[in-house]
Parts: sequence; C-alpha cells; structure tokens
Amino acid sequence: MAEKTYTFRVQRNKVTGDGKVESRWQDYQLAAEPTTTVLICLEQIKGHQDGTLTYRMSCRSAICGSCAMKISGRTRLACKTHVEKVADANGVIRVSPMTNQPILKDMVVDIRPFYNHVLKIKPYLQEGSETDTNVGRSSYDQVNHVTQCIMCGSCYSDCTMAEVSDKFVGPAALAKAFRFVSDPREGKKTARLRELSEENQMWSCCRCAQCVETCPKDVKPMEAIVKLRARGMQKGYVDGPGPKHALAFHGDIQKTGDLNEFTLMQRTIGIVGTLGELGMALHLMKKGKIPSPFPHKVEGVEELGNIYRILEENPLDVETKAKEVAPE
Amino acid sequence: MSLEFSFYPGCAGKQVQKEAKSAAHAVARELGITLHPMPRASCCGAVSLRESKLAFSLAVAARILSEAEAAGRNICTICNTCLQTLSHANYRFKREPDVLEKINGVLKKAGVRPYGATIKVQHLLWVVTDQVDQKLLKSKITRPLKGLKVAPFYGCHNLRPSEIYESKAGDEADHLDRLITTLGGSPVSYSGSRKCCGFHVMLSDPTEMRSMVAKNCLDAKGEGAELMISPCTLCDMSLNAYQMPAEKVVGKKIDLPEMNFAQLLGASMGLDAAELGLERLHVDPRPVLKSKGV
Repeated sequence: MAEKTYTFRVQRNKVTGDGKVESRWQDYQLAAEPTTTVLICLEQIKGHQDGTLTYRMSCRSAICGSCAMKISGRTRLACKTHVEKVADANGVIRVSPMTNQPILKDMVVDIRPFYNHVLKIKPYLQEGSETDTNVGRSSYDQVNHVTQCIMCGSCYSDCTMAEVSDKFVGPAALAKAFRFVSDPREGKKTARLRELSEENQMWSCCRCAQCVETCPKDVKPMEAIVKLRARGMQKGYVDGPGPKHALAFHGDIQKTGDLNEFTLMQRTIGIVGTLGELGMALHLMKKGKIPSPFPHKVEGVEELGNIYRILEENPLDVETKAKEVAPE
Repeated sequence: MSLEFSFYPGCAGKQVQKEAKSAAHAVARELGITLHPMPRASCCGAVSLRESKLAFSLAVAARILSEAEAAGRNICTICNTCLQTLSHANYRFKREPDVLEKINGVLKKAGVRPYGATIKVQHLLWVVTDQVDQKLLKSKITRPLKGLKVAPFYGCHNLRPSEIYESKAGDEADHLDRLITTLGGSPVSYSGSRKCCGFHVMLSDPTEMRSMVAKNCLDAKGEGAELMISPCTLCDMSLNAYQMPAEKVVGKKIDLPEMNFAQLLGASMGLDAAELGLERLHVDPRPVLKSKGV
C-alpha cells in the first residue's frame, strides 16, 4: 500500500511548579502506510523529530496495556490502532493522554486512581466457606469473558460516570469483580456481592456501554456489570435505589404491560426520597410531565402473566456464555 | 419503497415525553411513513428487566418483535433505550438459535405466536435519514435553519454496543449530523455528543446525573451551539427538563434549548407548534427558532 503523509496533532502537557497542567497542541508530519500503527509513528517522531515527546509503551503487542492514550476522540492502545482508521478527512490524527486520571507529562498519566479502584474490589481469590474445589468445564462460561482484561485503563479513561465521579470504581474493577464472583474457587462470593451493592459500585454504572465499545480486548465490562447486578439481587441485596428500580419493572409488565411511571419514583427511592424530590416534581408538573397514575393495559396482558409464571416455574438459563477455550 | 412500520414509541413517548410522539406522527405523515400502532406491545423492560429477570426480558422482547413480524413489518421506535433493548434481544435471537428456541417454547406455552427472527428494529431517525427519499425530505423544508448552530446529542443507546444495531452505530453514526445539514443548520462538533445523558442514574446517583447534563450542555454551548437535538425521549427528559436542576448543581447558567429531532424537523417543515408540543419544553426553543424565521 502506498505511503501517505499524516499529521499527528499531539497534546503536549507539562506540570508547572504550582501543580497546574500547561497544555498545547503540536503538529508532526509523518509519512506512513495506512496500516502502520500509531505507536510505530510515535516512535518515528520521537526518534527522528522530537526526543522530548513522552509516552508509555512496552510490548507493542496489545498485551501489556501501557500505550493506552486518547486517539482521535477515544481511548485506544496505540500499538493496536492503524493510522488510517483514526485519521480524519485531512489526514489528521489527534493524540492526547487518557482522561479521568491526573496528567504527569505529555501522554503519561498517574494511573494510581485507576489501580486504587481495582484494589478496592480485592482482585484475588479469597478463602472462605463458599470455596468449591470442583472446577468443571462450565466454570469457564462466565470467568472467561473477563480474564482477557489487561488493565490498560482505557475503559476507565472513557467512562462517562468516572468523568463526573471519582468515587465510582469503574468498568475494569467491576469486570474484575465479576471474574471473582464467577470463580468456583472464590470463598466469599456473597460477601463480594454485598460490598458491590454499596454506593459507587455496580449500581452507579450509567449503562452507557462506552466501555464495551472502548475495550481493546473485547471484555465488555458493562455486560459483566449487568450480570453482577442480577447476581446481587438473587442474593437478596435489593435495598438501594438501583435494585429497587430494576425490580419495579417485571411486576408492572406482568400486571398491565406498561410501566407505571407514576409510582416508579416512590418505588425506587421510597416515600422519604420522593418527598425530597417534591421540588423536582413541581418543576416537571409545570410542563405537564407527570405520568398518569392509571397505566393503560395492553391487549393480551394475560399472555405476559403466563410467560412470567412459566419462567418462574421452569427457570431458563439464557445467559451469554464465553467461548470455550480448549487447552492446547 | 414502502415505509410501513410497527410503531413502538416507548413508555416515555406515551406519557411524559408525549410531544416527541406527536412530533413523530406529524413528520411521518408529511414524509409518507406509516406508523402502525402495536396494541399488544408491552414495556420493553429496558436494561432493568435484563438485570432482574433475564429470560423474562428476552421473552417480553420476543413477544413485541413477534407482534410486528405477524403484521409483516419492521419496528420503528423513538426511544433509544427501547431501540437498544429490542435490538439486543433481536441480535441474540438471530445469532443464537438455541436461545430463540427456548424462548419460543415459552411463548407457545403462554399462547403467544413464536418469533421467527426475521424483522429489523429501526429508529425513526434512521428511517428519515436513510430510507426516506432525501429529495422529498428537502422539498418539505419550508423554513430552513439558516445556519443555526445545532449540537447533535446521539444518546448512548442509539450507538452502543455498535454490533447489535441494524444501521450505522458507534463512532460511525452520523444520522443527526446529516439531518442538521439537510435542515440548513450547522452541526456543532463537541465532546459530549456521544456521551451519557444520565437518565438511567437519575434516581440512584442524582448529583452525578445532573453533572452529566450540565457538562454535555455547557460543552456544546462552549462550541457555539444555539440549540441541541436528540433522537431519544429519555435524553430529551434529561437534557431539557433536568437542565435547570443541573444548573443548580454546577452553579452555572446553561440555558441551551434542547428538543427532540422530530420536533426540529417538524418546525423546519412549518408544522403547527402545538402539534410538535414545543410548549411542553422547559427550556423553550421557540425564541432561537424564531430568530431564524423557523
């Protein structure tokens, strides 16, 4: 394939004496083939044009996770990203550091906030009463979804909840938590689910699915979060607004088919919480945005009741399963 | 091409955001799109049902999809979360025959027509930008936006996970940008356009939700946006009805009118403001529209 000249618009960052970050954009021109990786281009620029350009890298093979950075709007591994895929119509590729973590220099960020969240979920097997020594083939069905994670922090960098809350543990930590909850050898599965049901854990994910899109290893963290929530509710951790909201749906669908939005708030955050939201209710009422307390019944609503009853009597396992990995 | 759909407006479109539904009907009528009602369709259950009762959520989705399939039509919706929920189930039914068989077994026992996994789930925005004859669309624009700077807000569940959708999705989706251009407006590029409106954490994390609303709107305003549009009734609720509460959280005035894409489309077609429900919006878009003669 023919070479083409690309413009790398790179954010140069410097921490000044008073701890503030000074940012500017610097352009570098480089001829490359469309399938050359962004990392190879950065290496060329650093080697031949500007030795002061600073970024992390190591394996060049999407295994170590060091070279995660924001490339043309999204966090990606520079070693896994072809230039043509991220160049705009003018051949410009924007490169900047990961977000939601403090900048140290150029593309290098302090990854401690990310790792501290991961440490919070105790990323190791614990001994306890729930340890099962019988590890069958089906044990991998769920565990294998998330073991591909390389802790590059890309999902945390693009997480829309982490952007507004540094308390939220984030997608990678929760995917890791799911891996331990699903592992038969883990001794404290229930205790994990109890802790994950607390504030800023699994129920604070806003389900934007950006992590599913961003993850360079196809871990699909949000899918793991959805499954964690299901397991938490099955264990009876249903006190917070998140689970209460989730549980409100199936009752309504069986009874009328439609969601009763009028009582949804009270069922999610309780009477006291609802009173606290009275100002909001008045604000919404000004424009007639208060749902009817008498939801409409859909035709054939008895079918929904039948479906629900059949499934309660004969539960179906329809969870997605990881692809089986045969030993080599 | 026949533009006949089974219309699935979603719970918000039926009640709190009914202006979006009314606007959808109005623009569909003008563009030769027929939106047939789905009298048997229930709430899709959103991700909430998938979390609490996974098999039930798939069966509920299959029952909805089956109603449209029996009528020989694809589904068209105006709610991103309904779009994602139904697309997600449909994606699995089309790829996992064993799951479809199990769910159909339940439907049959419950007296519901089994689903054959033959239909598509579409968003009205995709229909307008990809299926309607663009010459016809242009001919209907009697009040062009005269370069009005409009921020497209796509909404997560219109985009991700991109693999499940039967149209351009993820970073590739450009429907709103194209529509704004067609209407004579100027699409604003800003970092929030594919981020989260916060709707689904409105009650569990109210401060964070309001911060998201403020961030997205201020970001768009910072890039010069005079108006914001979204294809989703839930994003509309967050970005418009919750904009003033969001101002209180961040201590900054925002004042960026936001409306459903069908409302803006209808306005530039010169349709009646009452039919488009413009008076139901907390941050009123009428002054800025008026300034451009719309």
